[in-house]
Amino acid sequence: MMIRRLCLAALASAFLVAAFHGRAAAFPIDGDQTTLPPKTELDEDALDKPREVFHSEAAGGKSYMINLGNLAFSSPGILGGVARQAGVSCGTCHVNGAGNARFFMPKMSTRPGNFDTTGPLFNPKADNFALDPVRIPSLRGARYLAPYGHDGRMSSLHDFVHNVIVNEFAGPEPSPVILDSIVAYIQDIDFLPNPSLGPGGRLTGNTSESERRGEALFMRPFPRDPTLSCGGCHIPSGAFVDHQQHDVGSGGLFKTPTLRNADFNAPYFHDGRFDTYDQVVTHFDREFDLGLSEQDRRDLMAYLTAVGDAVQPYEHDGAGASLKEINDFATVLGTAIPAGDKDIVSLAVDTIGNELRELTEQYPDRKNTSVSGGEQQRVLARTALKGLVLTLRRIDMAVADGRTADAAADFKNYRYLMAAAVPAVLAGAESWSLFNPAVHDSHYASLRQVMQSKRVSR
Amino acid sequence: MNHSWTAVCVLLLMPIGMSATQAASLDDAAERYRPYMIEGIGQAMTGVRNLRDRIAARDLAGARKAWISARAGWERSEVFTAGFVPELDAQIDAWPHADSGFHAIEAVLFGAGRTDVESETEALADHLNSLYGKLHEMALTPQGLLDGTVRLAYEVGESKADGGESRISGTSLDDMRNNVAGIDFAYHTIFAASLGAIDEKLAARIDQRIELLKTIVAAPDLRRVDVPALRRVSEELVVALQGASTKLGLQSPTLEASSR
Repeated sequence: MMIRRLCLAALASAFLVAAFHGRAAAFPIDGDQTTLPPKTELDEDALDKPREVFHSEAAGGKSYMINLGNLAFSSPGILGGVARQAGVSCGTCHVNGAGNARFFMPKMSTRPGNFDTTGPLFNPKADNFALDPVRIPSLRGARYLAPYGHDGRMSSLHDFVHNVIVNEFAGPEPSPVILDSIVAYIQDIDFLPNPSLGPGGRLTGNTSESERRGEALFMRPFPRDPTLSCGGCHIPSGAFVDHQQHDVGSGGLFKTPTLRNADFNAPYFHDGRFDTYDQVVTHFDREFDLGLSEQDRRDLMAYLTAVGDAVQPYEHDGAGASLKEINDFATVLGTAIPAGDKDIVSLAVDTIGNELRELTEQYPDRKNTSVSGGEQQRVLARTALKGLVLTLRRIDMAVADGRTADAAADFKNYRYLMAAAVPAVLAGAESWSLFNPAVHDSHYASLRQVMQSKRVSR
Repeated sequence: MNHSWTAVCVLLLMPIGMSATQAASLDDAAERYRPYMIEGIGQAMTGVRNLRDRIAARDLAGARKAWISARAGWERSEVFTAGFVPELDAQIDAWPHADSGFHAIEAVLFGAGRTDVESETEALADHLNSLYGKLHEMALTPQGLLDGTVRLAYEVGESKADGGESRISGTSLDDMRNNVAGIDFAYHTIFAASLGAIDEKLAARIDQRIELLKTIVAAPDLRRVDVPALRRVSEELVVALQGASTKLGLQSPTLEASSR
């Protein structure tokens, strides 16, 4: 970790988020009849996904409300028609509660990593007739980061989530339990740990000279206005924020963003205009006439990189990670089935079923020309996952009919299969799945080749 | 691997048992599917012959039209292709990027806007000819056709939000409509009467789900297909057909070709 940090400080000008994130370019959605604008990139094909750490896991496990909130957050069903049609959920932008630096939607984004929440696509009534996208923020540590919204316009996370669902994405009025659960989920997402940060937000441990100088510069009053300093707004603390809005010369009043885990939160500023700390420091140097030397700039970037670091920011998106999330979602059914809660069961079945269908597509069928070998293993994996989808649908149908005992029996069978049989089948097919980087690249290269045939003609 | 095979045994446990009368009745009904199968592949062949002519004439619009017609016949036939002729199915409908087959030709005609697909079209015609040659003698089993119907019903529910399998030509919705037509015909030709005599309620449920699917895919374009409803109804149809298999004395349908 330390070696990487030192390298980053020296090479800050080349510090692009893409360097950390995944190994292949995101694959665009394309075609004449896609629900989203052609060439939209959701980065759903990334092999590495942001790691998500929950506060409550350290305290013994996630509650029903947190799992329900995570489920709803991953469900297009709570949003409006266009999002539902396109399979877009809150989790599409906030991948595992982090941001999505590669998300790009023509006419709704001006660069990867930002999105116009007041654009015409998802809710024409919310359209302000201006292309004014905002950065897709990470939600890590959100419980420390009030007020909410890039401009801090809402003091309540509850109100903010409601606004996103109903106004920005034209969703139906969410039930109180769904809204409360999403808030509970977001508030449970922790910052990733950073062992270099000690109490009071001070650097600790094996700190470099450059980082120490940067820390001092960070707290030094600005030459032209001694009432200001970097640390005056990004107060060294648990979250490095002051919960206030400021005009830093970027076009208005915007709330102070956290520096925690910020190495992985690019692009920066409210509209995501900057890719690197280098650009951010340059902006402040120019805007506030800081008179930084080249060494000062390097030291500040070293400090920011140290503060913004994290342990294992990404994890490989294999079948194991997918199954863990699916199993967490499925715990909701353990409560909702006995309660005969039709709405929650339907939401869970649709969402988990969707995840299982997506997981199925990680194991190419026999018609896929980009993978050879492991045919039988792939067939077994696909069969197992499809079987689970149908078991869930039987549960949904049984609860809708008031046959909760039948649903409970099916759920018992579902959990039995998910405990050992299905993981074993998927493990047996992993080498021929899209989780294997070679197969993944071959598959997407083939798709890209087909797509390019179209672009060549236009 | 041992774990995998054990797991599959657990997953695929299914009731077995079919009375002689039911079996004979279903065998007869399965035979009634044969003309439809021949007609569908025949349409695909006619379309490919037209495609060959239009390519020779360097008529891009005509070639595209012929491709769509050939594709329609193929998609209607998918109830049996994956299960009964898996090798030809993989060659004819290979995806995403293939040297031959429908999608290889689609990329050139609809993507690049060119007509230089002579060799690919010849290969497709050869594969379809091979298939056609088997159709009159191929043993059609009710189990195999139920398997194919169920697999296709499941596949119809897959998301096409990214434009679907035929995204270059923009004809994924046509694929879905032809798939549903194939399901409708296969079910009503082979299984509906027998099931109706045994369990009228279940037969009615299946009828209703097929009608719902037809309504959903009748949307004017892919963007207006109710995707969540499509998925739900397709899964409900599969669940109902799984229930029907037991009533008809057949094994539980497979969800992937060649997995039995």
